[in-house]
Amino acid sequence: MQNTVSKQRFGSLKKVVSSNSIVLVVIVMIIAGTFAEGSQFLSFQNFMNILRNHAVIGIIALGMSFVIISGNIDLSVGAQMVAVAAITVSFVNSTGNIVMGLILGILAGCAMSTVTGIIVTKGRVPSFIVTLGMQYIYRSLCMFYMQGGGFYLDKTKAPFYTQISNYMLFGKIPMPVVYYALMFLLFWFISRYTKLGRHIYAVGSNEKATKLSGINTDKIKILAFTLMGLAISVAAIVESSRMGSINSTSSGNAYELNAIAMTVIGGISMEGGKGKISGALWGMLILGIINNMITLLGVNVYLINAFKGVIIIAAVLLQRKDREL
Amino acid sequence: MEKFSLQMKDIVKSYNGVTVLKGVSLNVRQGEIHALLGENGAGKTTLMNILGGVIPKDSGEIHLFGEPAKISSPADSQALGIAFIHQELNVVNDLRVYENLFLGRELHKKSGILDAKRMCEETAKIFSKMNVTIDPRAMMRDLETSYKQIVEIAKSLLMDARLIIMDEPTTSLTQKEIDNVFNIIRGLTKDHDVTVIFISHKLGEVVDFCDSYTVLRNGENVSSGSIIQPDGSKINQADLARMMVGKDVLNQQVYEEHEIGRTLLEVKDMTVDNRVKGVSFSLKEGEILGITGLLGDGKDEMVRALFGDLHHTGTVLKDGKQLSIRHPSHAKKLGIGYLPPNRKENAIIKDMSVQDNINITALEKCRRGISLSRRKEKDIAREFIKKLRIKTDSLICKITSLSGGNQQKCVLSKWLNARPDVMIMSNPTQGVDVGAKNEIYTEIMKLAKQKIGIIVTSGEAQEIIKLCDRCLVMYHGELRGELSRDQLTEENIMILSTGGSLN
Repeated sequence: MQNTVSKQRFGSLKKVVSSNSIVLVVIVMIIAGTFAEGSQFLSFQNFMNILRNHAVIGIIALGMSFVIISGNIDLSVGAQMVAVAAITVSFVNSTGNIVMGLILGILAGCAMSTVTGIIVTKGRVPSFIVTLGMQYIYRSLCMFYMQGGGFYLDKTKAPFYTQISNYMLFGKIPMPVVYYALMFLLFWFISRYTKLGRHIYAVGSNEKATKLSGINTDKIKILAFTLMGLAISVAAIVESSRMGSINSTSSGNAYELNAIAMTVIGGISMEGGKGKISGALWGMLILGIINNMITLLGVNVYLINAFKGVIIIAAVLLQRKDREL
Repeated sequence: MEKFSLQMKDIVKSYNGVTVLKGVSLNVRQGEIHALLGENGAGKTTLMNILGGVIPKDSGEIHLFGEPAKISSPADSQALGIAFIHQELNVVNDLRVYENLFLGRELHKKSGILDAKRMCEETAKIFSKMNVTIDPRAMMRDLETSYKQIVEIAKSLLMDARLIIMDEPTTSLTQKEIDNVFNIIRGLTKDHDVTVIFISHKLGEVVDFCDSYTVLRNGENVSSGSIIQPDGSKINQADLARMMVGKDVLNQQVYEEHEIGRTLLEVKDMTVDNRVKGVSFSLKEGEILGITGLLGDGKDEMVRALFGDLHHTGTVLKDGKQLSIRHPSHAKKLGIGYLPPNRKENAIIKDMSVQDNINITALEKCRRGISLSRRKEKDIAREFIKKLRIKTDSLICKITSLSGGNQQKCVLSKWLNARPDVMIMSNPTQGVDVGAKNEIYTEIMKLAKQKIGIIVTSGEAQEIIKLCDRCLVMYHGELRGELSRDQLTEENIMILSTGGSLN
């Protein structure tokens, strides 16, 4: 008893620093960027650029957060995003009906992830394996369906589709940023203020105890995947609309790794049960700012990933709270 | 003159002005088994951590084997011949026995290759010293728990330990295994000048196996002496318990007369694989039904099946209606609650706060529109903390920061929160100190008075006798007999649970 009391007092300052270290990192990076680049970095437009460029992976990272908090992982997100986009684009191209296309895409994305969740829970196969397999399956089927190439939007049939992502709200806010904000609010709300959110944390922390609390843990894990599917679908729509196309080989590559990086940088523990959805936002900002700064500073682009790697490891080192002796 | 292995004198330790040890002394004679007793928070762990070099003392002296000792790190402690054996086993199941023994201190040949042959020989030598036969090449996972514990003891001997500290080593062992481990410890202390400090809450074991005792309470010495009294008899368990808590608890009456209503639950022909074989029984409103038996009796499997956590055949009727329970979530909806054994593994959600743990079973009660209301969650948690007198710094501190007894009260709260009419409790006072134990018993009595049907499974006969209106005794998956409250004696329970029958 006394032991914990002393630890709390002793660690209060450290705790403030460590529990907000991620925010501090962002602030430090912004300051560094400002001094290094003067006016250019701090401009509204540059920030919107950063956000727009990372909104798609950022949205996926929101879904990834739930999957990781529930104790799983999803490696298939990049390929699945291409699959969803292919379905949506080909439907829109052949019918010209955008609304139906979006609904179909979202349903397909949610269904795919739900299937993944069912195999993981009912089949008791580790999610790493199932989603690794799914990645190959989706990617391969897309390449087969698109014959190794891509689908381009038929702008005569569905001229509005590209506006979904390329429209500027009030003339200055890119729509992907708006979608990210909406998805963030939705996922943040679920994580904090719903029974499902609470149960996702519980499952990730102690699955057995959660099951023995009379909670259907399989259902919770499947629903975490379904939410991942929703995030992937939205990302697929944003991406295909922004590009006006989707490519079976070049789209969505390494999105899973970037999304995992964002969640991990944001302090969401790979062990499950720990971390906040806001972490995924901070993680996106950090990765976004690094990418941006490197471009603005004119650093060799080949070095970007080295910086990312350092940041990922450093972020986890900084946030590690209790070190066991 | 008496020889002491360990003398700790006037040990003082404080954290931030809170004095945890107020001049504690501990004298352990060479070659004895010395019980260190006290409630959680009495200072046992702090004292042992000082001895182990994990934390420094503020003042006081330590003499080891007659020499003043300076212990400032775990390595010092180890070099002085002190070994710790913790409650949780520190063994690697995927390695062989000898590999476990030599883990981190492997013997090499000159070429740098591991010398398995010599390690096996050394291992066999130590086992023969201990009078046990374990194949050094056996896989650790194939050993029984008690043998794993023995391997840990062997490991400490390999390090030339002369003072072994065992922290609640028997919590995961069966009675037979406990006897086995103690016989070996006894042999060591007699023949090999090994001294043992034994920390336990099970006073029965202490009286049976130890030579002397020291009781701590609130960081002070309360009493110490020999287990064998001057008149030749052994010290009374109730006396030890009284010293630990400062009041008479062991003989405190908890059972109170209460009304027993109509039949609530009927179980017919419950079968789980070959572990439970066609058990039938019923439970009435307000009844406390005990189920006991020795290891392998199937009682825990049966209640898990009843809660939907194991596949089973047979019928379960509640209020005359047949139920289909295939998952714990069904059981909860049907008004059945389950407090599982092994709290840490099965019951507490370690990353969550006290408040979140209490609310996890019944979040729908905290709904406000589509979202959860933090205020309602707080109110509910506060209500239970007050009702069950849970000691916690705040609602939002992690459940793992509470003591065992308070954690168990949280687990009980989470089920009361779901308002079951049938409450199953397996080992409800496992890992809970004497004082909190009685509070939990009192709480169970209160539930019975509220007409909740209660099933208590326990391997401790005393617990069953204290609480139950009626008791079923199981033996090898079958119902061996039923005892009414006036037939409940330790002897009758033992006869039935070993397969005998009452005439």
